Parts: sequence; C-alpha cells; structure tokens
Amino acid sequence: MDRKQYCVKLSVQPSRGLMDEKFIVQVHNVPPGFQLTIHAFHKCDDGHSWEAFGHYTASAAGAVNVSEDPSLGGTYSGVEQMGLLWSLRPVPGSKPGLRMRKMNVQTPMEVSISVYQGHQTEGLVDQVPLTSVVVERWYIAPGVRRVPITEGGLTATLFLPSGPGPFPGVLDLWGGGGKLVEYRSALLASHGFASMALDYLTPKITIETKKIVDNQYFETAYRVLEQHPQVLGSRIAMLGLSLGTSVTLKLSVYSQVMKLRCAVCISGSHVQPPGGSLEQVLTCFRENAGKTRINEEGHIIWRDLLLPIPTDPTLKVDVGQLQCPLLLVVGEDDQNWPAPESAMDMKEMMEKAGNSHLLTVLSYPNAGHLIEPPYTPHARFSKFMTVDTRQKVMVLWGGETAAHSRAQEDAWRKTLIFLRENLYGGTNPGATSVSHL
Amino acid sequence: MVRAHLSVTTLRKLIEMKMIPCISVHRNLTCLHHALGGIRWKSSYRQAPLLTAAPARGLIDEPISVKGRFLPPHCPVTVCAQMHSEDGDLWEAFGHYNTTSDGTVSLTRDHSVGGSYLGCEPMGLFWGLQPAPGARKGLRLRKKNVETPFVVHVSLLDGHVSPSERQSTELAAVTTERWYMAPGVRRIEIRQNGVVGTLFLPPGPGPVPAILDLWGMGGGLVEYRAALFASRGYASLSLAYLGHKDLPAPRNRINVGDSYFKTAFHLLQDHPQVCADRVGIIGLSFGVYLTLRLATQPDISPSCLICINGPVGSTVTLSDADGRTEQFESDQKYWVFDDDGYVSFKALSLPANLAPETIVKIEKLTCPLLCIVGEDDLSSSSIECANLMEETLRAAGKHQLFTCLSYPGAGHLIEPPYTPNSRASLWSVKPVKQITLWGGHLASHAAAQEDAWKKTLEFLETNLRC
Repeated sequence: MDRKQYCVKLSVQPSRGLMDEKFIVQVHNVPPGFQLTIHAFHKCDDGHSWEAFGHYTASAAGAVNVSEDPSLGGTYSGVEQMGLLWSLRPVPGSKPGLRMRKMNVQTPMEVSISVYQGHQTEGLVDQVPLTSVVVERWYIAPGVRRVPITEGGLTATLFLPSGPGPFPGVLDLWGGGGKLVEYRSALLASHGFASMALDYLTPKITIETKKIVDNQYFETAYRVLEQHPQVLGSRIAMLGLSLGTSVTLKLSVYSQVMKLRCAVCISGSHVQPPGGSLEQVLTCFRENAGKTRINEEGHIIWRDLLLPIPTDPTLKVDVGQLQCPLLLVVGEDDQNWPAPESAMDMKEMMEKAGNSHLLTVLSYPNAGHLIEPPYTPHARFSKFMTVDTRQKVMVLWGGETAAHSRAQEDAWRKTLIFLRENLYGGTNPGATSVSHL
Repeated sequence: MVRAHLSVTTLRKLIEMKMIPCISVHRNLTCLHHALGGIRWKSSYRQAPLLTAAPARGLIDEPISVKGRFLPPHCPVTVCAQMHSEDGDLWEAFGHYNTTSDGTVSLTRDHSVGGSYLGCEPMGLFWGLQPAPGARKGLRLRKKNVETPFVVHVSLLDGHVSPSERQSTELAAVTTERWYMAPGVRRIEIRQNGVVGTLFLPPGPGPVPAILDLWGMGGGLVEYRAALFASRGYASLSLAYLGHKDLPAPRNRINVGDSYFKTAFHLLQDHPQVCADRVGIIGLSFGVYLTLRLATQPDISPSCLICINGPVGSTVTLSDADGRTEQFESDQKYWVFDDDGYVSFKALSLPANLAPETIVKIEKLTCPLLCIVGEDDLSSSSIECANLMEETLRAAGKHQLFTCLSYPGAGHLIEPPYTPNSRASLWSVKPVKQITLWGGHLASHAAAQEDAWKKTLEFLETNLRC
C-alpha cells in the first residue's frame, strides 16, 4: 500500500477514560477489504511489556469499528469492543506467572494502540505502524481525593469522591496476598463511594508485633469510616475478595459494632472455624494444606482445602442470620477457593432460614478466582507469595480468558448497581429488590 | 423521646427563622448534626444524590454527558459549573432544571428553564461560562498552557438559585477536565530559521497531513487550536508573527515579511513526519489576510485553506512590499467607539477601506477555500470580505473552490467549540486601557462554533486525507 496515497486514521474515544469505561476504536481511510492488525501495547509500572492484537478486514467504506466488526484472530476473536485491553498478555520472552496490578493509582495506565498492515502475529513491536494513538486509562477520576489512614493502628487508604459529600462508604478487602491494594477503592470512589482499602494481613501493626490482627481491627476500620465527616455512617457496605470474603461474611453476621447496609463477596467461602478470628482461619488453611493439588504444569490448586463443604453448621458462618442484602460473585472455574460450592450451600442455608430474598448469586461459567474490575488482563495462574510462609509459588486461579473477562465486566457492572441501589437509593434498608440484576 | 425526622428544606426554613442557631451554610451535614444538639439526625431518610459527568477527562471539543440521580422527583435543582482561569478569575455557568418523576436530571435530555442558557443544551455549562459577579471587566477565556487541562467543577444545587448567591445546599459534585492535548501528542517549540512557533505532532510514526495555524492582530503565540488539531491527527504549527519576544522588534509592528511565512510553511511541509503534499493553512481575523497572501505566493501550494472572519487585504498600513507593517494604532480613522467607549475595528476591513494594493489576488488560488463568517462580527467586515472572495473566484471561473459557512448571531471569535464567547474584551492596556468589541450572542455563537468546528474537521478530512 502506498502510504502517501492514504493517510490511515485511527481514533479511540475517549482517549482518557476510567479503567472500567468502554472505548470505541475505529480505523478510517484504508482501502476497502484491506487487511490490518490493531495492536495494543502497554509497559506496566513493573517494567513488563504487554501486548494484544486483533485481525480485521476493512469494510467497503474502508473502515473498521472494533465495537461492531469481528476480529478474525489474534489475542481475541469475534466482536470484542474491549478485547485490546482484556486480552493483553506478556510479550514473548517475558517471565512466566506475571499478573498486572497497578499499585500507583495516581498515574494512568498508558496504552499505545497502533494499526499495522496485514494480519500479523509476531514482531509487531519492532515494526513501524501505519498510525498510532496513545490512550490513558485511569483508576481515579478527577477530583477524587486519596487519604492515607493510620489512626487506630490501621494501615489503610481512604478514597473520597469529589463533591460536598457526605458519601456512602465501602470497606474494601482483598485476599491472601496481603499488601495495601488501592485500585478497586480508587475506582469505587470514582463512582461516588467513599471507599477504604484496608491492609489486614501485612499492616504496620502486624509487621511490628508479628501478630495477625483480630476482629477489633476491622471494627476499628468500620468506626473510622462511620465517623468520618464525609461518610454517611448508616450507609456503609463491605466488599471482600477471596480471604476478604471470609472476613466480610463473618463480620456482617456476627459483629455487634458493624451495621452494614449490604455486602459483596467475591470468590470466597463461608466455611471457617468457629470462633473465627483471622488467625484461626489461616491456621485452618495450614492444617488442610495436605489437600493441595498440583496440576501438570506445576501450578498449585488450593480449592480443595475447604472441601467438602461441612454439613455441621458450626463450621460455617451462619448466613441464615444475615440481615442485609448479600451479593455473591463466583467463578465456576475457580481453582483457588471452592466458591461455587460455597455459594450453593449459602443459598440453601438462607432458603432454610427464610432470608434468601437478601441473596443474589452471580455465577460465571469458565471464570476463575480473580474476578476484578474489568478490562485488565486475565491471569490464569501467577506467582504468589503466601503471607505466612513467604514462599513464592505458582498458583492456579482458573478461568478461560474471554469468558473470565466477560464475567469481570458483567460482575463489576452489577456490583456497582447493587452498591448504588443499596447505598444511594431507597430509604428502607434491606427492602431493596435486586432480583432484576 | 421525640425523634425529629427533618428534611433539608425544613431545616433551612428553621435556620432562616433563626430558631436554630446556625448562621452559615452547612455543606457538611455532620456539622449540622452537631450544631443541632439534641435532635437525632436519621441520615437514612436523607437522599444521597449522585452527579456524574462522562467523559470526565475529555478533549475540549468532546461533548460531556452530565446526569444527576437519586434526587427527589419533580424538584427544582440548579446544575452549576465553575472554573478558575489561568489568571485566577472565576468563571461560572448554571442551568435551572426540574427533576423527572424518577428523580433524575440529564443535561442531554432535559431543558433548562433559567440561568446562563435555556432549553436542551448539553454543553451549556461550558459555552455559557461567564466571569463571576465582581470579576474584572473585559475578560476572555483562553488557555495559555495547553499541557494542562481546564478543571471545571460541576455541582448540583438545591432549588433554582444563582451560584454566586451561595445560599443553596450543594447536593453533589463532580470534577471534569477539559484538555486541548490528547495523550501522546508532542509539543515542540520551534525557533528555527527565524521562525517562531510551536509545533504539535500527533502520536505515531506519521507521516500525517499538516496545518499552519495563524491568529490575528492580538499577536503572541496562541497554541490551543494547533494542539487540538494534533489531537485530531494533524501536525500543526502555530506561528507567531507579531508581539513575541523572539521576533524582530518592535513588538507592536509586523516586522516579518513574505519570506518568513514561506519559510514557516516549508518548515512544516518538509518535516519528516508530515505528508508534504497535504499541508493546509487556517487563519482567523488578520490571519485570513496572511493565509490568502501566503497561498498566492510562488512555490507555496497548500492543499486547502480555512478563513475565519478576516479581511482580504491588510487592515494596517504596509511599510514595505514584503508585507511588513506599521503599528496597528497608527491609523485610527476607521475606529468606531460605542457609548461605553469600546472600540470596533470592523470598518477597517470593509473592502472599500482596504488599501487596494494589499488586496490579495484571490483569483490565483488553486485549492479549496472554506470561508467561515459570523454575521454579528463587530471586529471585521467578514460578510463583505467573504462576498468579495466569492465574487472574485466566480469571475475567475473557480467558484467550485469556494464554500462559505455563515452564522447568524455569531461574532468574530469563532474558535473550537464549548468555550465561551466574549462579546467584548480587553484589547490593550497601554497607552490607554482599551476594550474592543467582538460581537456574538452567547447561544448562537456557541452553536456556530460547534457546527463550524465539525465542518472544519470534515473539510480537512476531505482535502488533506483522502
């Protein structure tokens, strides 16, 4: 193709968006039927390079619209508006077991999107594209404030939406990897929730005293949130993933201090030792470590540690006593926790107790454990360092990329609707119907 | 024990009646709670409204969708935008709306019944921005530093109020950023071969089509339109020719001639990332004359021209045959002053008043020309000059090159959309403070900018890309 004859035009709208916002990628001004590759390239904060690409054939009008036209091959296929982001994978030659996580939410993720001639699969990064644009993806909307929290011995970060407030609050818990992971809270604040990301496995107090925190730590976090002048104390939710689910379920049922408006539990279980301090939960896992399986690639499968789901009700959080709406999100291919089985059991328990009208279960076939905000790459397995043993192992999370990415998009959308309806709308806590989700 | 469930309105009434000792407006309801002492505030009975704007970080020419939710139904609300210019002045706009039965307000769907604009105006909060009461006179909103965005705070207020009265409760707010530069656009200062300008390059390897960007007698180096062209995929060179410290002195005259403009054009054309046969020129005001003059020079062959509200000849006396001029203030016989003492330069560019030897030989043009006219232009005789351009081309058998967009109610400063028009603004401070008239009525000028920009981009696509 004579490059001088055609000035290929690539547009991505919006060029600056939130991480969970969709964009429209379009190519114009190529010959009709022209074969091209649309390529995305990103260098993450850790220095690793990621790429994704789709193969397209231009229409009779000499155009390609990624939202409407099918990719004929590449890292994704079919009509996938956001495929260029969720199918990002480490470039050939990268270390195995990478997982993309943005720890600094104050800078955007920069992605270079380019158009190459022909349907290509290799060496794209070394070629000169026909045209390219740069897109910024932000976890934090303009005006959102980031407030480090250390009071009460907490290691946390509070994100406040812009505006006068006060705002409904969310207590945001991640899982067994520990650390203070801020991006989901930053995104929640960008959607109008005062969200506190809480480090409960590796907080300063645990590093110093070598002791795992107890229930009081979480209740302190709740209190700090509740009493914050910019937070509506009676509209607080808790959101947990993985081990964070164990904490969330326990506290939402048993805590005398925490009066949650609603709870979201992702990829977790209600199975935990009675008396349930965090320390005891971790001990329980250690004791069951013998049930660990390893697949052919040497990846660790931990889903059996809590199986079978006990029939003895004292070995599980009594969700029959739950008084607030609960959203359960599970991936049916979760290889790390028995989340689908736990969800089924919770449903049964709540049906028996007569409070199942509070329960919504979102169950996704072929989705894995790490159900996160959408449009970031899926990691079927990755290097993981357990908090107590401090060993680096390769853990299998599960999930098939396209299905998992679809699950993330759907789950996040419904999580936001659930939080919005329970925390913003309505005057009667618990009466909000979420069956239409 | 009586539990008082009080609505915001009732509380405000109580405050007004001085039954509760609470004087200043409490934006923070917890503060209000403490101030009320014994009354128990049951916040679950209080709505927590939500205001959203998408995209929150947009380019200046991208429309934003503003929505309010979780509001009481059929209630009056005010949507308000506020921003500080780079000079620190506060600009404001607001619209009065009534929420629908589902407790929402949407600026892309609903009608403003009062405020800075009326009717369904999704971008009224942006093009309707005006200096806040008490501001200095003669302000004009222009961005000098294009590498940072305009930060506009959009808020939702209770009732139909004027934001400067500050008597209403702010229910919700959202912050938006308005950018002239898209991510990846590069800004390059040009001080080469005597040329003073700023080059903006779109990301990517190129080559790309290019636009030479010329402004008016205000002088200096105005970058924002060129930055926006680069954000739309065109390399763009904004060129200074008057009133810049890096140009030959004195600053109040044009001391550069035809060779300067030709050098600039060639510099752009010869840039390795520019398609040499796809370079256009855009000019506003005096920049129109410069555009036409340059386009008719030998060895200059632009692919297309865009002329906005400008003269076909020089409105200031030339000092030599190469286009250098005397100072603008030297000949004031055509200056017209209104009752406020504001000056209109319109008569300078009436074809009959232009020095005939400076009128550009438009019949020599060989490329398409898009002419944009504001019919309420008080600074330039745009209609008359556009007519002259059209007649000249028609007489030369080249009428097919000419397109004219003429906008009723639009003034002189037809710029990229969703920015406010100034009907008059400060022109000079020395020797006297002088405000000049640009013309243009806010809403019609805004509509003109939106349409003109869209058609400008289409014209460039057709002539520079295909």
